[in-house]
Amino acid sequence: MQRGQTLKVGLVLASPIVVYFAAFFVYPLFNLLQNAFTSNSGALTIANFQSMLSDPILSVALSNTAYYFVGSVALEYSVGFMVAVLLYAYSGRLKSIFRTIIFLPLMVSPVVIGLMWILILNTNYGPLDYILSPLGLGKVDWLGSQSLAMPSLILANTWEYSPFVFLIIYAGLQTVPPQLYEAASVDGLSRFQTFRFITLPAIRPSIVVAFLLNSIGVLKGFDLIYVLTNGGPGFATYILSFYTYVVGFSFFETHYAAAIALLFLAIIGTFVFAMLRFTSVEVYLGLKRGEGE
Amino acid sequence: MSEIVVEGLTKKYGKNVVLDNVSLKISAKEYFVLLGPSGSGKSTLLRLIAGLEEITSGSIYIGDKKVNDLLPKERNVAMVFQNYALYPHMNVFENIALPLKVRGMTKVETNRKVREVAETLHIQGLLEKKPKQISGGEQQRVALARALVRDPTVFLLDEPLSNLDAKLRVEARAFLKRLQKEVGITTIFVTHDQAEATTIATRIAVLNRGTITQVDDPYMLYSRPSDVFTAGFVGSPSMNLIHGVARKQGADWEFHSEDLDVVLGKTGLADEKEVIIGVRPEELTVSKEGPGLSGSVSNVELLGSISYVTVSVGKTSLVVQLPGRPGIEIGDQAKVELRPESVLLFDAKTGGRIDTKA
Amino acid sequence: MKGRNLLLIAVLTLICLVYLFPIYWTVVTSLKTNLEVFTRPPIFLPSQVTLSNFYVSVDVFRAVSQTAVGSIPWMIDSTIIAAVATVVSTFLIAAPAAYSLVRFIRSVWLARLILFMTMIPEAVFVVPFFIIVAKVNLLNTWWGLILVYISFSAPFSTWLLMGFFNDVPKSVEEAAQIDGLSPYQIFYRVSLRLVTPGIIAAVILSFISCWNELLYALVITFTPFPAGAQTVPLFLTSFIIVQKSFAWGGLAAAGVFTMLPTLIMGIFAQRYLARGLTLGSVKG
Repeated sequence: MQRGQTLKVGLVLASPIVVYFAAFFVYPLFNLLQNAFTSNSGALTIANFQSMLSDPILSVALSNTAYYFVGSVALEYSVGFMVAVLLYAYSGRLKSIFRTIIFLPLMVSPVVIGLMWILILNTNYGPLDYILSPLGLGKVDWLGSQSLAMPSLILANTWEYSPFVFLIIYAGLQTVPPQLYEAASVDGLSRFQTFRFITLPAIRPSIVVAFLLNSIGVLKGFDLIYVLTNGGPGFATYILSFYTYVVGFSFFETHYAAAIALLFLAIIGTFVFAMLRFTSVEVYLGLKRGEGE
Repeated sequence: MSEIVVEGLTKKYGKNVVLDNVSLKISAKEYFVLLGPSGSGKSTLLRLIAGLEEITSGSIYIGDKKVNDLLPKERNVAMVFQNYALYPHMNVFENIALPLKVRGMTKVETNRKVREVAETLHIQGLLEKKPKQISGGEQQRVALARALVRDPTVFLLDEPLSNLDAKLRVEARAFLKRLQKEVGITTIFVTHDQAEATTIATRIAVLNRGTITQVDDPYMLYSRPSDVFTAGFVGSPSMNLIHGVARKQGADWEFHSEDLDVVLGKTGLADEKEVIIGVRPEELTVSKEGPGLSGSVSNVELLGSISYVTVSVGKTSLVVQLPGRPGIEIGDQAKVELRPESVLLFDAKTGGRIDTKA
Repeated sequence: MKGRNLLLIAVLTLICLVYLFPIYWTVVTSLKTNLEVFTRPPIFLPSQVTLSNFYVSVDVFRAVSQTAVGSIPWMIDSTIIAAVATVVSTFLIAAPAAYSLVRFIRSVWLARLILFMTMIPEAVFVVPFFIIVAKVNLLNTWWGLILVYISFSAPFSTWLLMGFFNDVPKSVEEAAQIDGLSPYQIFYRVSLRLVTPGIIAAVILSFISCWNELLYALVITFTPFPAGAQTVPLFLTSFIIVQKSFAWGGLAAAGVFTMLPTLIMGIFAQRYLARGLTLGSVKG
C-alpha cells in the first residue's frame, strides 16, 4: 500500500479509540495525579503519600491483600491446573459435558456467586458446616469470625476463578502436537517422563500467562468481597481494591483516594509489566513469526 | 498500447536490496515469464508493477503512462495470487462480480459479464458455490475469471500453478497458454520452475538475487545462456559445470582441471584463463570401452524413454543423458565422451559466457 | 487403559459435583418452602417444591421490588446498557482500531498499551469516572453507564480482534485492492466479514461483563428503570444486604432468576469464548 495513504487510513480507523483513550484514560490519570499531589487547599504536596505510611487501615489492607493473594492464587492455580491435566488425560464421550460444567462458574456473575456462598456459608442453616461436621467442627461462623472470613473468601474465590486457570492451561494443552507424544512413546518415555519433559515445556507460555492473569484477576477483584463480607468483619477482609473504593466513596477524601488509586495502579503495573515480557505482542501483530511457524 | 517498460527499478527494504536497477521491455500481447529461484526478486518485481509495493527508485510505464504513483486500481492490472486469494465469505459469482460492482456497473451488465467470463473458463456451473466447496483447479479458474472480467490491460500471475498437483499443473499450463492467446492480453507470469517457464513463455527474464541475468526466448536461454547461473538454472537436469583452466597447447586450446582434460575448439581467448566449462547431459555419451574420460558409474536413473547416468571422473560428477536403457550399472567403469563444439565456456571470475565465435 | 479411564471419570465426576454444588444448592433453595429452608441439618433434596419464592415477597413493606420477578426493571436497564455498550464498543471502536493496529499502525508499544488498559482495576478510576459522568450530567442515566462501560470493553475487544485480524490472509486483501476497493471498503466488505468468530466472542464477553459489572453501577446509578439506570447486580446487592438474614428462599430465587440470562448465553457460546478468555495467548 502507498505509504502516505496508509497512515491516514490508519489514523481515521483508530480515531474513535483515540478519543476514548483521551477522555477515559489520559484525563482520569491526569486527574488522579493532580489530586494525589495536591492538598485540599490546592497546594502542591506529597502529604497524601506520606499519610499512607501512617495509615493503619492501609497497612491492614495491604497485609490482607497479600494473604488473599497468596492463598487465592495458590489454591486456584493448583486446582485449575490439576483439573486441566485430568480432563486432558481423559478421553471419552463425557469430555464436553465435564468441560461445560467446569466452565459454569465463569458464566455466573460475581454478585450471584457471592449470593450463593452466603447461602452455603451460613452458620445455622448452611450446608458447608454440615458437610464438614464429621471433622468435629460443629457450627462454624464462617463469615462472622475474624479468622475464618478470609479463608471463606478465598474458598469462594477459588470456586469462581479456578475454571479460568483451567481454561488457559487446557487450551494450552490442546495446542501440543500429538506427534510429540508419538515420538516420546517410540523413544520409550514413561507417562510421567512424558509429562515432565514434553508436556510441561510445551505449555510453558500458558503456564506463565495463567499465573499472571490469575494474579491480576485476584488483585482486581471487588464484587465478591463487597457482597460476601463488605470488608468485614471489622477490617478482616479489607483488601486494596475495596479500600480504594471506600476512601473515595465512603470517606470522600478525594486526594488521599487518588494517592491510593495510584499505589494500586503501580502494584498492578508491575504484574502487567512482567506479563508483557512474556507475551510476544509482535507475534500477535504479525510483525514477527512465532516459534514453530 | 499495453506494453510495459521498466526502467532502472530498485527496491530496498531498509538496507536490504531486493531489486537492483532492473530494466525490461515487455511487448503487447507477450506471454512474459519472470524466472528465478526464491529470493531472486521476481515476485517483488511483479508486485511493484501491480502497485502493491512502493518503488524505491526507477520507473514503470504501462502503455505510455508512468504509473509509479498510481494505486493498483488505477493501473488497470489484474492479478492472480499463488493461493488464489478468493473471498471466502462470498460465492463464486460474487467473487467475480466484486470488481465490477465496485466500479459502479449496473446489476444487469455485471450479470452479463460475469456469465460471459464464466463460460470462457468453463465454470458456469459453480457460480452459486463458495470457494471452500470447489476443487483447487476450479478455484484457480475462478481467480482467473475474477481477473479477466475487468478487461485489464495487463495480466499478472504470481506462481499460480504451484498449488496444483503435477498432472493438473500440466493441464493448467496448456489452458493458460491457449487462454492468453485467445484473449490477447499482455501477461507477466512468475515462477521458479524452469520447465514451466520454457514451455509457456514467449520470452523469459531470468532473475538472480535482484538482477536480471538474461532476457531471451526459451531456446536462446537454453542454448546460449548468458552466464553460469542461467546455464545451471535452465534445463533439467542441470548443465554439467566444471571449474578449471583453459590453456593453449600448441595449435589447440585445452581445458585442464584437477580430474580431467578436454580438448576445446576455438575459444576466442588471448591468454590462458581460469574458466568454467559447461556441457549439457544430452551432449555427452557413455560407453564401457572406447575413447573419452574414465570414471565409475555412481548413479543410474531410468525415466522410461531416456536415462540419466552419473559418472564420477575423479571428484567430478558428470550427468549423461542416454536413450532407453543404458546397459550400465552402478559401480561399472565407463568412458564419457564429448564433442568440443558442444562445450560452452564461461569466465570463472565474472560467470559470463565467453563467446567462442569471435 | 480402561481402568485408568474409569478412575479419571470418577475423579472428574467428583470435581464436577463440587463445581455444580453451589449452583445446585441455590436452585434447590429457591424451590424450597420456608419450612425446609431453615432447617438444621440442611435438606439436600426437598420433599416439597414451590415457585412462590420467585414472586412472593417476605418483606411486606417492599413487596414487588424484593422478589425475583421484581428484578425486571433492573434487567431492562442491564440489557439495554450492556447491549448498546457492547455494540458501540465492538463495531464502532474496537474493530476499526484493531484493524488499524494490525494493518496500518503496526506499533508494538501501542499494542502493549492496549493490553495494559485491559488490566487496569476498576477501583483505580472510580473517582475520576464519577467526576466525568457527573460533569456531563449523565449520572443515573443509561448513557452515563454506557460511556463508562465502553471504556472498559473497548480495549479488551480491540486486543481480541487484533489476533483475529492478523489471521486474515493478506493476499485476499491485496486481491481486493487490485479489484479496486478503497482501504475502508476492504475493511468493511472483506476483512471484517472474515473475523466473525472473533466478533462473536467479543460481543458475548463484552455483554456478559457489562451485565455483571458492579462497582461503577454502584457509584453512578441510584434508581432503577424508569427513573434511573440501576442494573441487576445492584438489585441483588440491595436484596442481599436487606434480606440476607431471613428471606433466603426469595434470595435464592433472585439469584437463580438473574443468573439465567448470562448462564444461557455462556453455555451456548462456549466454543467462542476460549480464545477470548485466554487473551489470545493460545489459539482456541
